[in-house]
Order: sequence, then structure tokens, then C-alpha cells
Amino acid sequence: MDTEARKKALQYFFDKVVGPMGFKFTPDVELKDFLLEQEVILEAKHGVPFCPCQPVRHERVRDMQIVCPCIPFHREHFDAIKRCWCGLFVHKDVTDPNSLPQLSPRDVGLE
Amino acid sequence: MNDKFIRAISTTEIAPGGMKAVELNGHEIVICNCGGIYFAIERRCGHMNAPLELGTLDGKIVTCAMHCAQFDVSNGQALSGPVPADLGNESPPPMLATFLQHVDMLMKHVRTESIRTYETKIEAGWVHVAP
Repeated sequence: MDTEARKKALQYFFDKVVGPMGFKFTPDVELKDFLLEQEVILEAKHGVPFCPCQPVRHERVRDMQIVCPCIPFHREHFDAIKRCWCGLFVHKDVTDPNSLPQLSPRDVGLE
Repeated sequence: MNDKFIRAISTTEIAPGGMKAVELNGHEIVICNCGGIYFAIERRCGHMNAPLELGTLDGKIVTCAMHCAQFDVSNGQALSGPVPADLGNESPPPMLATFLQHVDMLMKHVRTESIRTYETKIEAGWVHVAP
């Protein structure tokens, strides 16, 4: 399987899903490229593009909540920090992802 | 008209995002309408030979209905293999588990290959394919 072709395919599908939720791909092209590549590797290993920054625990319910794009499952936290955990997606109004504060779920009142 | 092209179907036979299977000169071919651009691919999935017109077409990516392997219809490139079976957290009955393990073992040896594509052209409202 060609990694670059799969990265483009994932980007195509993800773009259609995250747009209506108010998110877009990070403007950090290098980060986007790196994260998509990791997802292609994870997909080749597990058959599913899991979030690259979360461990796969082989617990189905929990693992399904980290299949990229995992925004619907962690929406409140992502909306509060204006990005997803790994940073592949940011709110549509974000132009500088590095300027976003790093806040835990507890910091935003979710725990 | 170049002799190698064969008139296949009318352009009105497939809605955008749709696919149709045809047989031309003994070749099983699926014609895909990607927003008004027509591509022709071989009908059989590069994973386990399922008929691809039963799958879904999204942009230029076709997803096989059988195991969800994906291919780029513009060049036939295999984009992903099958997705894993989802059995949930509960173990199946022992006999079924043994059978599924056997199937898994066999499936590990099945590679997903790229599929063949065919040249197309539109003339007078007809899609012509060179099989």
C-alpha cells in the first residue's frame, strides 16, 4: 500500500467529516503530514486509523472512541481547547495552533 | 474513432457518484461517474474478487462492499486493505471461535492488489471504453 496515496485518501474523508463539526486540518503542514503518516501506519497494523497520540488498549468500547477523527467522543474538551488532542484538527477560526493554551479536562471543568 | 474503444453506456445511465457494471469483449468492467468524469475499472476487487459496483463511490475512491478495501478509480491504486471483523468484547462460542481463527489465519495471506483501469472517452453522449 502506498503511504502517500493513503494519506491523501484519509485527508479527503476526514475533511468531509470534521468540516460540519466546525473543525479543519491544522495549518501546521509538517505536523499534519506527520500525524497522517502515523495513522496510515496504525491503520496498516490494526485495520483502523487510531489517534496517534492515544494508546490502543484492546478494549473495544474505549478503542472505538479514539478512531480518528475522534471529535464526537471528546467534543466538550476539544471545543474548550479549540483543537483535538494530537493537534491534527483545530477549530476553523484557529490560525496559530501553537498559541493555544494546553488545558486538561479538569482545567475546563470536565472532571 | 479509434478502433480500440467500444461504446459502453450512455452518460445519462449513471448519476454522479454512481457506478455500473458492463461486460465488454469478455472483460468485466465497472464504469464510475466521478462528478461528470468517467473512469473504468476492472469489476473484481483486488482483495477477494467481490464485485465493486456493489460498493460505494466517494470522489475518486471506491470502497468494496465486502471487506471495505478501497481503491482509487483514476489509477486503480489500492489505498487500503480490509477492515477487521468487529466481534465486540464478548468471545464467540468455542466452535465459532475456532472457525474464525482459521478464517483469520487464511485471510492474513490474502494481499490487496491494485486493480486494472481502462481508458475512457465521451463521444456524443456515450461513454466509450478501451478494454
